[in-house]
Amino acid sequence: MTDQKKNDDITVNIYKHRQNPLKNKLGARLLTNEDGHLSSENIKEADKIIAKMCIGCEDHIAQQLEQISTVWNDMKKIEDKALRHEKAQEIFTHAHEIKDIGALCGYTLAAYFAESLRDYISETALNMKNQHIIIQAHIDAMNAVHRGKLKEDGGPVADELKKMVKIAIEKYH
Amino acid sequence: MPLISSGHRKPEPYNLHNFTVLLAEDSVYMQTLISEMLRVFGVGDILTCSDAREAIDLLTITQARASSRHVNKIDILLTDWLMPNGNGEELLSWVRTHENDDIRFMPIIVVSGFTTEKITSATRDLGANEILVKPVSGKLLASRICSVIDTPRAFIETPEFFGPDRRRQDLGFVGENRRNASPSIVEKNI
Repeated sequence: MTDQKKNDDITVNIYKHRQNPLKNKLGARLLTNEDGHLSSENIKEADKIIAKMCIGCEDHIAQQLEQISTVWNDMKKIEDKALRHEKAQEIFTHAHEIKDIGALCGYTLAAYFAESLRDYISETALNMKNQHIIIQAHIDAMNAVHRGKLKEDGGPVADELKKMVKIAIEKYH
Repeated sequence: MPLISSGHRKPEPYNLHNFTVLLAEDSVYMQTLISEMLRVFGVGDILTCSDAREAIDLLTITQARASSRHVNKIDILLTDWLMPNGNGEELLSWVRTHENDDIRFMPIIVVSGFTTEKITSATRDLGANEILVKPVSGKLLASRICSVIDTPRAFIETPEFFGPDRRRQDLGFVGENRRNASPSIVEKNI
């Protein structure tokens, strides 16, 4: 079949909305083409919920960090690739959680290292020795951030920690 | 009392008490946070689950029972992208290939902690209506919800794609038309 023939055979269906089903649900008086909005009071209230949830976030980050350390201690002893992969998945999930919560609650530095660890550990071809050094560097950095209660970008201490992890990645990756 | 002409009156804010939202999020922390935010926005019914498989079960059961007076159809699906037992990718594919139109055309907002272009393109190409990049805020969540309400884009079906029109605006095209296929337009009440 020629390319021309193939193109002629392509059918594109376009499904258009005759009505706006979600606006219908909001009531007939809102059936205009104008964009709507949610109450600004409710939006402020939602932001207050975020602030309230962030009050206890340090403990939650600490728990996740502890779990990463536990899984990592197990993982270091495992040579079987499939089992190591399972443990790496666990670390990935905890790091992802720290990244999300850290970014939400202003723990930018914890989020930075967690994201870096998450992205590193998701790689499939991991060399055991190199992996050991890089993961340990991330965990050490996150522990230091937690112990120092470093919020936002963390200042000169943060720069040192970032440098340490960067060197580990550049040298052993 | 003087009579003052109000001119153009600002419309009232949306009241979402009739809405049912399904939230798929594996992190208990984020699930609690987002459902509380939805509650504050006035969403009447919030269903939660922690992975794609549970979401699929809930969508199947809820939509099957939606003919009953006591069960509301799910209006908006909010899903995390990365979940351990069945992720957002799996869920989007399932929804957009479903035979039931209520499910297939459902508005989907992907909530993602990944900011890469690759993930953004993947969510769009799998048929997500909106992407909400974490960290969430009241304003961001509200804007994505309003966007799916205000701008229900047409759905496009080609051999490789099914989902909301990925072109959000018609930018026009100057030059020779080299397309041979003329699309068949199916108007459907969705």
